[in-house]
Amino acid sequence: MGRKILVVEDDAETAAYLSKGLTQEGHSVEQAVNGQDGLFRATDGSFDLIILDRMLPALDGLSVLKALRAARIETPVLILSALASVGDRIEGLEHGSDDYLVKPFSFAELLARVNALLRRREARIDPADHRLTVGDLEIDPLSRTVKRDGRKLDLKPREYLLLEYFARNEGRVVTRTMLLEQVWDYHFDPGTNVIDVHVSRLRRKLDDGFEKPLLHTVRGAGYMLAA
Amino acid sequence: MPTTLRIALLAGLLALLSNIAVIGFIYWRTHDEAVSEMRQQIVEQDKVLTDVFRSGGELALTDAVHDTIAYADPLAVVALLGADGREQIGNVEGLSQAHLTEGSRTTFIRLRGQPTPRRATVIIHHLRSGQWLLSGRIAGEGLAIKQTLEGSLIIALALATMLGLACGAVLARYVGIRIGNIVAVASRISRHDLSGRVPLSGSGDAFDRLSQQINAMLDRIGGLMDELRMLTDSLAHDLRSPVSRLRSAAHAAAETTDPKEQEELLGSVIRQSDALMRILTAVLEISRSEALTGRKQFSWFDLGELAAELSEMYEPVAEEAGATIIFDRPARAVPLNGHRQLLAQALSNLIENAVRYGASGGEIRIDVANEADQVRIAVADRGPGIPAELRPAAVRRFGRLDSSRSNEGAGLGLALAKAIAHLHDGELVLDDNQPGLRTTLMLPLRPDDTKAARVA
Repeated sequence: MGRKILVVEDDAETAAYLSKGLTQEGHSVEQAVNGQDGLFRATDGSFDLIILDRMLPALDGLSVLKALRAARIETPVLILSALASVGDRIEGLEHGSDDYLVKPFSFAELLARVNALLRRREARIDPADHRLTVGDLEIDPLSRTVKRDGRKLDLKPREYLLLEYFARNEGRVVTRTMLLEQVWDYHFDPGTNVIDVHVSRLRRKLDDGFEKPLLHTVRGAGYMLAA
Repeated sequence: MPTTLRIALLAGLLALLSNIAVIGFIYWRTHDEAVSEMRQQIVEQDKVLTDVFRSGGELALTDAVHDTIAYADPLAVVALLGADGREQIGNVEGLSQAHLTEGSRTTFIRLRGQPTPRRATVIIHHLRSGQWLLSGRIAGEGLAIKQTLEGSLIIALALATMLGLACGAVLARYVGIRIGNIVAVASRISRHDLSGRVPLSGSGDAFDRLSQQINAMLDRIGGLMDELRMLTDSLAHDLRSPVSRLRSAAHAAAETTDPKEQEELLGSVIRQSDALMRILTAVLEISRSEALTGRKQFSWFDLGELAAELSEMYEPVAEEAGATIIFDRPARAVPLNGHRQLLAQALSNLIENAVRYGASGGEIRIDVANEADQVRIAVADRGPGIPAELRPAAVRRFGRLDSSRSNEGAGLGLALAKAIAHLHDGELVLDDNQPGLRTTLMLPLRPDDTKAARVA
């Protein structure tokens, strides 16, 4: 299920690295090397995702983003930037980007975020069946109840949010920073294994006593919920 | 034109102008018509006599001189002298020959029958007949004084001009020396020598104040440069160990033939690079906060809620380390206008610190207090604490107390918390929890903030 991705990046090496990796994942990638060109290509609205470098010649990334949003083009935008401070990240998100990734990044991190953004686009809530199911796991976001194999799991509020986020990204890698940003809404790097500790607690409640584990660790990348 | 010369000329010019104004005022108040009227009378009397001589010759002139002596006012001076200078007719006595040159002058003349010479203005003509005609008037008492005064005023003006220029020169030299001191220090700075200071005269004048300001500025710049140099040194120093670990892991990965070992080593390479990036991001975040950027991202939020969130977030981490986090959320909201993300980071640094170094004490207490003009968040552990004399070092960048490099923290957590407090005009205080360490973020509520909070 290849998608159309626009990469706006002036650094040829990074652009080539991104194009190669995303093409290998089955997406079709177009490149723009400056902000004006990027804005021009993005305005036809045919892309599923735009990866936008923040510091670009001719027109900087945030201005491109602003112009796109002003033109009511709602294509998801992932900003890539060497500007790493918390303030910079907040600024990027405030300008209407959907995600913000700091350079240098691992390709696994980028891919996980790209997949999450693409998935968000396709996921349309079905009002008739709002429940999420992963194997024998069943989540009801309205009542915030979780059942596995028909048995109710007793989760704390944050554990529930964590599990719901995993379930919405079923079968996809979710990184630690994604969890920190999406589940806790913090944009700094805590440095300790705080996320791992929470995930392993959730895993104990979720998988202990069941033959088939649902929450998997993906080495060098993060976690994945899959049946 | 050098500045000092310009100052000298300006000072001289100003002195001259003010002197002219004063002298002009004196002249205007003392000068009256009498002096010029007398000059007019003298000229008229002279004109009459010379006209008589031209039309009537010597005889007519002799009569006219007689008439003048007889009928003119008693202050009139008139005399007809022979070519040898001896008086033929007239009312003058004891006139010396030295006076006899064409033209008008003011001199002392004794009238016949008078005891002393008096000041008189006369016009002298050398007639065709070879005789000398002397005609003029004795100045009255008042007139004489006024005439002297006018002369003095002109001399005063000349003196004032010279004095003004001299004053200007002295002033220029003084200013030049004082400014020269400052220029000397400034040029040392531009030659990368920050050690120079401007000498003070001790008088506390404007130059002293300027010099003091410049010296204070240099002290501050010097301090900042030292700090910067220290930071650069310690950054370079502290990055050496992770970089060398990174290098040896990469080297080992390149050497090994065992694929499993290689994978492990490459994983370590990535972890080490991530640790390096974290250090650099933290350093960047500190300098951003110290430069007070990020204030435009301030917003209102409940500090109690933030503390609750973070307590919950770190509770399992503390538990794994063998400690319990105790937090009693205040019953009412603690509103604060601040940078939510950065304060979350500051608080999480304090909690991580407590978990890392104070978990042995069993309990970690988090408190949020709302006071009249500030809010406080304290994180207190029951661990070994930090002796008072080591606390300043603990807050410094890279000021980690134990030198063991195996320990994960880069020694930036407290420094960043302090910088974030600074961004909020607040401070980070370390004190004794008896036993243990208590770290407190004190965040002042700005006057407009408290007002807004009350309205909200």
